[in-house]
Amino acid sequence: MAGEAVSKASQPLNPCPDPNLPPVVKKKRNLPGTPDPEAEVIALSPGTLLATNRFLCEICGKGFQRDQNLQLHRRGHNLPWKLKQRSGKEPRKRVYVCPEESCIHHNPARALGDLTGIKKHFCRKHGEKKWKCDKCSKRYAVQSDWKAHSKTCGTREYRCDCGVLFSRRDSFITHRAFCDALAEETARVSAAYTMTNTTSIGSVDSLLQDGAMTPNIWKHLSPNLKPNIMDREVGQQDRHGCSSWMGHGGQLDNAFDGTTAMSEINQAGLVDSQLSWIHFNKLSSLPTSNTLKPLTGSVPSLFTSLPHRPAPDISATALLQKAAQVGAISTTPFSGSFGLPECQNTSAGDGSVFDGLLIHEFAASNTDEVNYITRSRSMLRDCLGGETRDFLGVGVQTLCQPSANGWI
Amino acid sequence: MQNPHPHHHQASASCLLELDDPDATEKWAAELLRECARAISEKDSGKIHRLLWMLNELASPYGDCEQKLASYFLQALFCKATESGERCYKTSLSVAEMSHSFESTRKVILQFQEVSPWTTFGHAASNGAILEALEGEAKLHIIDISNTYCTQWPTLLEALATRNDDSPHLRLTVVATAGVGGFVMDEIGQRMGRFARLMGVPFEFHVIRDLSRLDELREEELGLREGEAVAVNCIGALRRVGVEQRQAFIRMLRTLRPRVVTVVEEEADFTSCSGEFAVCFDECLRFYTTYLETLEESFPPTSNERLALERECSRSILRVLACDGDRVGDCERREKGSQWCRRLIEAFSSNSFSDDVVDDLKALLKRYRAGWSLMPAEGDASGLYLTWKQQPVVWACAWKP
Repeated sequence: MAGEAVSKASQPLNPCPDPNLPPVVKKKRNLPGTPDPEAEVIALSPGTLLATNRFLCEICGKGFQRDQNLQLHRRGHNLPWKLKQRSGKEPRKRVYVCPEESCIHHNPARALGDLTGIKKHFCRKHGEKKWKCDKCSKRYAVQSDWKAHSKTCGTREYRCDCGVLFSRRDSFITHRAFCDALAEETARVSAAYTMTNTTSIGSVDSLLQDGAMTPNIWKHLSPNLKPNIMDREVGQQDRHGCSSWMGHGGQLDNAFDGTTAMSEINQAGLVDSQLSWIHFNKLSSLPTSNTLKPLTGSVPSLFTSLPHRPAPDISATALLQKAAQVGAISTTPFSGSFGLPECQNTSAGDGSVFDGLLIHEFAASNTDEVNYITRSRSMLRDCLGGETRDFLGVGVQTLCQPSANGWI
Repeated sequence: MQNPHPHHHQASASCLLELDDPDATEKWAAELLRECARAISEKDSGKIHRLLWMLNELASPYGDCEQKLASYFLQALFCKATESGERCYKTSLSVAEMSHSFESTRKVILQFQEVSPWTTFGHAASNGAILEALEGEAKLHIIDISNTYCTQWPTLLEALATRNDDSPHLRLTVVATAGVGGFVMDEIGQRMGRFARLMGVPFEFHVIRDLSRLDELREEELGLREGEAVAVNCIGALRRVGVEQRQAFIRMLRTLRPRVVTVVEEEADFTSCSGEFAVCFDECLRFYTTYLETLEESFPPTSNERLALERECSRSILRVLACDGDRVGDCERREKGSQWCRRLIEAFSSNSFSDDVVDDLKALLKRYRAGWSLMPAEGDASGLYLTWKQQPVVWACAWKP
């Protein structure tokens, strides 16, 4: 078949060279993009990848999008028992690489195991967004994403601090801007900020030099956090997980004063205030601050094991993965697989990104704060596939299956 | 307070008008009012008196649409007949200023935007055009000359905050004339600042309020800076400029070198008929009948917010029909989209709204009750109309140099 190239996924190897990590068990659901080394790697051209009806019935030639559909169809041909079985033995497990060369999943070591999965990935990341929601004009590249969104679009509710409930996002935003409750919240946030500001070393002020608004720091801190302030919705819980993780990045080393200040803001001023106003009808059972606390508790313990430099046999990559797993576990009550696991953007050759970030920055002077922040931000952006700005949850959606609860 | 016996009045109307057909009394207000307007332009004092008396009997600001129309137009007709328009208008202006607080203004306008797309249509269209025209710029300066008390900007701020990783710096200069109380603007500015901080958008807010008339605005007062991309936002602004000064005002806008000028105006012509009272009156009646109808159908039956809006439009009617010249506050002589196009084309070229913006507007209208739709401008005119029951009511258009 034109457009296919077959190779072994085992060169390069499993991106986790760390012997401390347990070997990947085949039956268990793998972290995305860590294929079975023995699997057959298929590289399809974009055209072939997007072609529908790849599965053809040998009897009548009818094409189907999925193998299951084809099998169902074949039953209708009333084949004798022998011919019902597929010819040949069970084929080797197949994994697929993304045709886009600049993509992380182009590397066979990061191939995805599911044809539908790679199709969707390709469309979402590199494809044209042809599907548009007619209620809110949000664009999607994958039809099923669009359908899933359309079901819930307009059904979300927004609650302001003052208690008023809105079904429309634009009226909520406008109301919020003029609401008296805003005055209190920003006062609280500014208070928390000035409090921590006084304890931090001067370089935090260098960040504050940005002409107009000092709390512009929110933006630098975590792009996810910013929309969170505005948007009180369940989908954002997932972001809380990642962002507090990032906040804890600051707690890694006490010498790193600047970010300590910021992570304190994250926890005390911002996160709490964010959480205090989240409450939704059917989602009242969701843990709010509770979710974050286990994360709070576990991550530091993970990192306190490294005094000022991690032991040589625990790479930054591995640490990141550990943190990611912890993050994933804590946030399982939600849609299950928020993209934290995907945060291991470290294919074999890429460890240096994190090396520089985690290890060297610990000993860095305060003036490297800005670097830390901007790097963290791009790291976070990578985590979430570049779509960190989206109230309606498209960013989250690309990483996990559309939630059955219909948050997305 | 609803009039308890609307039928009573309708019966009275038919008695008073000596009409045989009771169905003809459905729209009795228009009939009576037009009769009276004609009588005034003909200076038939006997008839004027009779009709004013009848209208006074039947009118009520708390009644149904007909009664309200009668009530608000009656005041204008009375002032016109007695040549007391200016005095009445000044009085009503100061009463309004005294009773308007930030809270009451906020309540009325937010509720209005919740139930009707009358203003949000223009906001969404303008914001869309502004965002697209200023895409990629790091320093934005929006000169806001509008009558919607900055309710347009929260959604723009949110869009700026979420569009890209780096939010641009936004400077907002609001031009307020006498009608908008100074302290209200201060409070609004504070809220905008707080909200912008929340959104993480670097923000500066400035109010220009020492103008007695809009056409006194000069480039120097705006404090334009090097390296900033300017957008001028005119919502219900151009009509507030005296008719004779409009062309000069538009030319002044051109000197600000804006990337985009967004114009939103209500679709009515109170300008070309300035000399003929009866013609002007008819147009005024037509427009405000539609407006009151949209208010009636958008708000819940007993709404203080609606009442406040209705009182505001009675002031506007008074200004148009019973006040001459530029001596009292802002002009209110609206022009239709096609007329504005002829003026604006002298200094700018029109920029049609992108498909994305149109889609957003369609989505916006879906969030309101049925009856509203979009209509593109045709012929020489450009822009987009908001229509109510197929009748264009608000016009929006974007312009570039």
